[in-house]
Amino acid sequence: MTAADVYAILPLIVLGGASVVVLLGIAVHRSHSLTLILTLTGLVAAFLLLPLVSIEAPRQVTPLLVIDSYSIFFSGLIIAASFIITVLSYSYLSQQRGHREEFYLFLLLATLGSVVLVASTHFASFFLGLEVLSVSLYTLIAYSRKEYGIEAGVKYLILAGLSSAFLLFGMALVYSELGTMKLAQIPTSLSNPSSGVSQVFVLGGLALIVVGIGFKLALVPFHLWTPDVYQGAPAPVTAFVATISKGAMFALLLRYFTVVNIHNYPSLYLAFVVIAIASMFIGNLLGLLQTKLKRLLAYSSISHLGYLLVAFLASGPLAAVAVAFYLVTYFVTTLGAFGLITIMSNSDRDAEDPEDYRGLFWRKPWIAGSFTAMLLSLAGVPLTAGFVGKFYLVTAGIGSALWLLVIVLVVTSGIGLYYYLRVVVAMFASLPKGSTIAPAMRISPHFTGALAVTILVLLLFWLGIYPTPILRLIESMVTGFS
Amino acid sequence: MVPLSYYLMLSAVMFFLGVLGVMLRRNAIIIFMSLELMFNAANLAFVAFALYYHSLSGQIFVFFVMTVAAAEVAVGLALIVAIFRTKHSINVDQLSSLKG
Repeated sequence: MTAADVYAILPLIVLGGASVVVLLGIAVHRSHSLTLILTLTGLVAAFLLLPLVSIEAPRQVTPLLVIDSYSIFFSGLIIAASFIITVLSYSYLSQQRGHREEFYLFLLLATLGSVVLVASTHFASFFLGLEVLSVSLYTLIAYSRKEYGIEAGVKYLILAGLSSAFLLFGMALVYSELGTMKLAQIPTSLSNPSSGVSQVFVLGGLALIVVGIGFKLALVPFHLWTPDVYQGAPAPVTAFVATISKGAMFALLLRYFTVVNIHNYPSLYLAFVVIAIASMFIGNLLGLLQTKLKRLLAYSSISHLGYLLVAFLASGPLAAVAVAFYLVTYFVTTLGAFGLITIMSNSDRDAEDPEDYRGLFWRKPWIAGSFTAMLLSLAGVPLTAGFVGKFYLVTAGIGSALWLLVIVLVVTSGIGLYYYLRVVVAMFASLPKGSTIAPAMRISPHFTGALAVTILVLLLFWLGIYPTPILRLIESMVTGFS
Repeated sequence: MVPLSYYLMLSAVMFFLGVLGVMLRRNAIIIFMSLELMFNAANLAFVAFALYYHSLSGQIFVFFVMTVAAAEVAVGLALIVAIFRTKHSINVDQLSSLKG
């Protein structure tokens, strides 16, 4: 490992160092705002190092990590999202009793795990990145130590442990036949089979790896944990699970399964088509039945990952751009939606019941307006980021003539529009006479949370009206990674 | 010398016993032990094939997996203690308060 290697992974070192500094800082002096400042400094430093590091790119650092423009782009997205979640967490935790500082430690560690995941080129870094992310998330989900949080934490722990075990056994099967743990070598070993390589074992191993990945992405039929964990976890943590943890995994999936050229394996290809269609239908149809807002967003995220699979299966040059752009819009929108839930929640519970939103427009017009924008973007209405993202997904799908998938995408988006609009209508409905405002609604939004949400709303419209600059950036950074 | 296929078969059997344990048992600690069994089934396959390929990477990977499994258990047992405090039981069927 040379000095240039160390330089190339400086953002990761900074994130790891920041978590140690936060850990020691808490031991020396317990202060909520000081911990926040240390965390934000670490995240900003890691983010600012990314453009400097990109001069060295592409660079393979040990067999484990690759620093190229693709991983730098997704690292930047993850760190930026983590910054927003940290700011939201501050306004959320300010109302909570008990120890608040360790929360930031786990946020930093989970971010580090995600960044390792998008840069990994080896089973070992893949598994370690995934587990650093998962173990931090178990703690974050159960952080409030209320009944719901702990229940969600245990459920996530058992199911994530199960999926990690599947992933690991799949890795063992692939290793047993191919004798390599480098992700990029798997397709070459597959296309030039040496004597005695059993395709059945390799495909079985890849299928088990897909189970592990599908769990993290909450794709049908591995989605059963999603509504419970979304509902039980604190709102900022739900935002983390919905965006960073899924985005990092999808970036890895896109990078390696595009190299494998999934069209050469009809059984694997068919499995992904079925998963995509099932995710789009089940996400949108079960979403119709939900009354709690966080569960509704859980089903919404299941369907959005299904939409992403359409572009993933298109696997043309446009597909990578479409996926990356859609992930950016999905991050902005989902963070905004959970950010708004965060600033409306109080110390007793998260604001997620229908009564919390009824007539919101007449009491807090700015919050209701922002929420409407986020929901319309999730539904993919023009002038919002979600529309442009979906437009690119459909274009990528049509470019590869995936008619069935594109038709399902359009039809299920239409179904989904209904439940987003139901929430919007409730916000504009008038309050029934004599009803009192739900306690969760008496909180005036904390300054930092409101600032983060305002930035997200501006980004949402910017991406929806003038997406050219960010598309140029994505085209220059994401294409040509293979 | 034990043939290589025996290792793979043993590890597959251990893995499926682990899956059955997670699916069928209701005690959170037993579920945890079954998860560990699944991790170690994969470890066995890794070690056996690392010997076969004369490559160290498979063996070193097992150390990573053992470390991760230990971390997972540390967090998991803490959560089980927390759930016992609120529910006075570690039966996972009791975890049913989250629903739509």
